[in-house]
Formats: sequence, structure tokens, C-alpha cells
Amino acid sequence: MRRFLLKRVASALITLWLLATIVFLIVNVLPGDVGRKILGPFAPKEEVAAFNHRLGTDRPLLAQYFTSIRRVFTLDFGNSFQSGQDVKSIIFSALFRSGKLALLAFVITIPISIAAGIFAARRQDKLADRVVVNVGLASSSIPEFVTAAVLLSIFCVHWKLGKVFANPPPGTSVIGQLEYLLVPAMAMVIAYFGYIARMTRAGVIGALQSDYARTATMKGLSDNQVMRRHILRNALGPTITVISVQIGYLFGGIIGVEKVFNYAGLGSTMLTAVGAKDIPVLQGAVLLVGIVYMLSTLAADLLIAYLNPRVRLETAR
Amino acid sequence: MSEPTSHDEVTEPTTLAFAAASEVPEPAGGVDAVIGGQPVSERKQARRENWRLIRRRPSFIIGTLIVTVWGVCALLGDRITPHSPLDYRSTPHLSPRGDFPFGTDATGRDVLSRVMAGARDVLKIAPLAAVLGVLFGVVIGMLMGYIGGWFDLGMSRIVEAFLALPVVLIALLAITTLGSSDWVVIGVVAVLFTPVVARTVRSSVLSERSLDYVTSANLRGEKRSFIMFREILPNVMGPIIVELTVRVGYAVFTVATLSFLGAGPPPPSPDWGAQVSDGYRVLGAGIWWTTFFPAAAIASLVIAVNLIADSVQSVLEAS
Repeated sequence: MRRFLLKRVASALITLWLLATIVFLIVNVLPGDVGRKILGPFAPKEEVAAFNHRLGTDRPLLAQYFTSIRRVFTLDFGNSFQSGQDVKSIIFSALFRSGKLALLAFVITIPISIAAGIFAARRQDKLADRVVVNVGLASSSIPEFVTAAVLLSIFCVHWKLGKVFANPPPGTSVIGQLEYLLVPAMAMVIAYFGYIARMTRAGVIGALQSDYARTATMKGLSDNQVMRRHILRNALGPTITVISVQIGYLFGGIIGVEKVFNYAGLGSTMLTAVGAKDIPVLQGAVLLVGIVYMLSTLAADLLIAYLNPRVRLETAR
Repeated sequence: MSEPTSHDEVTEPTTLAFAAASEVPEPAGGVDAVIGGQPVSERKQARRENWRLIRRRPSFIIGTLIVTVWGVCALLGDRITPHSPLDYRSTPHLSPRGDFPFGTDATGRDVLSRVMAGARDVLKIAPLAAVLGVLFGVVIGMLMGYIGGWFDLGMSRIVEAFLALPVVLIALLAITTLGSSDWVVIGVVAVLFTPVVARTVRSSVLSERSLDYVTSANLRGEKRSFIMFREILPNVMGPIIVELTVRVGYAVFTVATLSFLGAGPPPPSPDWGAQVSDGYRVLGAGIWWTTFFPAAAIASLVIAVNLIADSVQSVLEAS
């Protein structure tokens, strides 16, 4: 297990370094003047030079590269172009608020979609199965902001069950916050239900056809016992991987949801940064999402290795 | 891919003609009468059979119908819209009624006309981005799978790093630094799709590489580029077509999201994502039609493309 852990952490660090390099290349892909790009074509030359100096964008590219790599590993992303505030404090508090929304979404999505996946797999190719598969396909292919806008108009405007502005006032109790967060979280539940349900369904169908499932049934175990003791343990590996990947990808969709509900999370912070061309904030937020992705997939791989000894022995070799 | 143009299979539909065309053997090289251990005519027959199976699936028929409707709207644009999509002469925020079935927006423009004309932006940008992304991905994936070794190892790491970020997020960063235009959006989405496609193609190439027909081509002393693109490519065309249809769906999704977030085409153009972005602020006042109809348009197109992709996938993966 230790060998497996070391290997996996090393590969995560390499990926993180490459990720930081890609982000650096994107930001610096156009040769030229960051200060000029931000201040516009009519700003005086001296002002642009002073701006570049303040940001450090007048230093040689290689020096800037090393700084930006160091920043990923020390989590120090410099200061915002716009407010001069420390980027780390801006994006971490925003990440916390997005995390709350995301956590609520996952707490609802995971049990529902795994149950739906198992339900569909047991009725393979029957009507109930087709319904789960097709609803899953449709719901996961609609952009989150579309679902969010439709849910907002139905639940928050028409039935007045939730709030149009999802920011709970400071000091709201955890239960009180649900009134604000539940409808935006539902938009994400709808988006992620399909992937997880379909993956669970595929895993369970595969395991149901296996020899060990037949043996377990033949020796007289009930269907529920076979499912719990034999099938799920084997079938949930891919599902866990999909969930961990979705935790990172969620931040792509959450931007739209946060915009629709005016929620002050990481997505809204990024959109403000886009409007102001505040590249350090944008860069920091993107890298932070990358780090979240690395951590969640790492956790998933360890969990799978823990559940399934075949995986950890194979990789450690 | 030297000269595969669709010169003979004109009767076949476009996606499959693409597949078929690259399988056409070189007229001079008699050795290619057999590709992948099967005579060409049999392969053609298998392809026709697949196409027949795909065509019969209800999800394919529904998907194609919806895409065709939007395609007609995109092609004809304001020649068939009831009003001009840019005409702001009528009363703002009229609710849906006889002459404005979808109502009017904040500046009195007809929502129905704008939704119809808005199909053009997304149908221009998304398929192009998907095709380019698949093209880059096929080339890189072929090289990764065929050359292998250090090149494959390094590229695999880079692909993994790309996959660690949601496409929308990194596209937003890129479009902010590059400035937005149709071509920037197409290019950025295509580049961000490349790693995923490359990974799929790589794994299909890996399973082909050890087969006898590749070994014998190697022994014949064929050039690497010939083996890759004339021998292996036709045999991995199935997964590539599946990937292409799936990517078109994702591209519509991504482009709509980007334009909702303000990184799409500039304001006057009747883009669906931008219309939702204009409309959602007045939802609280009960004005739902300026948001709902463009949102429904996005949903219908994405679902339609995914229905097509799903039916292509289930037929090609079963065969």
C-alpha cells in the first residue's frame, strides 16, 4: 500500500507541474505587453511600464515561469491586478462558498444516482432501465446554466419555494441556508445524476454477468446479499472514479449556476476577474480547481485500492 | 492522409463517407486489396449494414429531425423568421401572443425570430470546433499509439494535466487573454478537445499495433506514415466517428456556456447563450419567455446531438 501511495502522489505532483505550465503558456501565449493589454491602447507609456513593473511582467519570461511554478506548490498566487488584495484570500473564501453548494449537490446526487443505477441494472433493457438511461443522458447533456435558469423560474419565481438570490445573509443557520442553496444545488444534481447513474449501471451489469455472482447465487444467497457482498464491492470502482472526476469538473458548471443565482462563489469571482482582465485571480482560481481535482482523484484511487486489493498490487508492481 | 477525398462513395451520408473515403485502397498498390484481413467489399457491406442499423434507431431519427430544423433556421436565418431578429420597434417585454408567439425581449425584439436566427452562431462554431479538435486528436493519438516509448509517456502526462481542468474554465482563461472572436472560440475549444480525443485514439491504435497486418506492413518496409494513416487509421475509424459525434454534443454545450458567461460572440448577434444571459435577470419579475425559449433551444439541440451520438455509439460499439 505504501508503495502504491508514493507512486500515486509522485504522479499527481508531476501532473500539477504540467498543469501550472499549461496555464502559464495560455496566459503568456501572445507575446507582448500585459500592461498594455489591460490598460488599453490609449494609456501613456510610463503608466504601462510602471504597471508591468509592479506586476513583475517586465521580468524575463523564464523567471516569471519559475515564479508561477513555485506559486502552485506554495499556494501563493500573488496579488489581484484590480484590488491589490492577496489572491489566495480572495479565492479561498470563494472556494469555501462554492464548496458548500457543491457538497450539498453531491450529498443529494450520490445516493440517488447510485440507487438509480442499481435499479436500472437489475431491469436491464426493460422500460424502467430505458427511462433511467435516457433521462440520465438528457439531463447530463444540458448545460447547467440552462437547468438553473429553468429551475429558478419554476421554483423561485413561480412557486416561491426558494430564493432568487442564493447568498444567505451572514449568520444564517445551516438549516436556514438550505432555503437559499437547495434550488441551485438541484441544478447540479440534475447535471451529474446521469454520469454517475450510467456508470453504476454499467458496473453492476458487468458484475451481474460474472462467474462469482453466479456462484454466490447458486450457493443460496439472496439477491440482496449478492448485491451487497459481491456486486457492489466490484462494481463501484468506476463509479468512485467518475464521482471524483466530477468533483473537479463541477467547477466548470458551477460558474453558470452561480451566475444565474447571483451566488458569490468561485465562479462569480472568476467572472468578475474576466470582466476586469484580472489575470492573477483567474490564474489562481484555475490552478486551485486543478489542485482540488488532483486531490479528489487521488483520494478516489486510494479508496479503490483499499476496496480492491487487485488494484493496489497491480499498480505497485 | 494523402488523398482521401470522397470521390466514390457519393451515395453514402457524410459522416460515413468520411470513414469510407479513407479506406479506399490506392489504385496502384495491389497489396491493399485486403485491409485488416478482410476484403474491401465485405467491409463496405458491414459499413452499409451499420448505417442501416443506425438509421432505424428511434433516437437517431428524433435527433436528426431536431438538428435538421435548427440547421434550416441557421441556413435561412432572417429569410424565414417572422420578424427581423434585430428589429427593436415593437413594445418591450410583451408576453407570448398571436403575432409574437415567444413574446418580445427588453428592447422589443421578437424572441421567436431571435431564437431561430440564433441557431446560426452555435451551428457555425460548435461543429467546426469539434471537427478540428478530432482532427488534431487523431494525429496526436496516432503518433502516441504508434511511436510509443518516451514520446507516448510524455504526451500521456500532458493529456492527463489537460484533463484535470474543466474545459469551460480553462477556455474562459484563454479567451480572456486572447480576446474573444469566433475563431478564438473555435480554436480554444478545439485545442481543449484534442487531449481527450488523442487518448481515445491512442488506446485504439495500441490494440491494432500488435496485429498481423501491421507487422507484415512493417516487414514489407512501408513508411511509418503509410502504416499509420493508410493501414491503421481505417481500422480505428469506428471509435473516431463515435468520438466525433460525442464531441459535437460537448462543443454545443461548451459554446453555449461560454456565450452565457460573456465569452461568446459580441452583443447584437442573436446568440442563444447570450440571450439567456440577457434574460435571466428579469426572471424575478415574472418575465420568463426571454430566458425560457433560448434555454429550451439550447437544451433541444444538445439533447438531439447526444441522441445521434448515442445511437451511433451503440451500433458501432456492438459491431
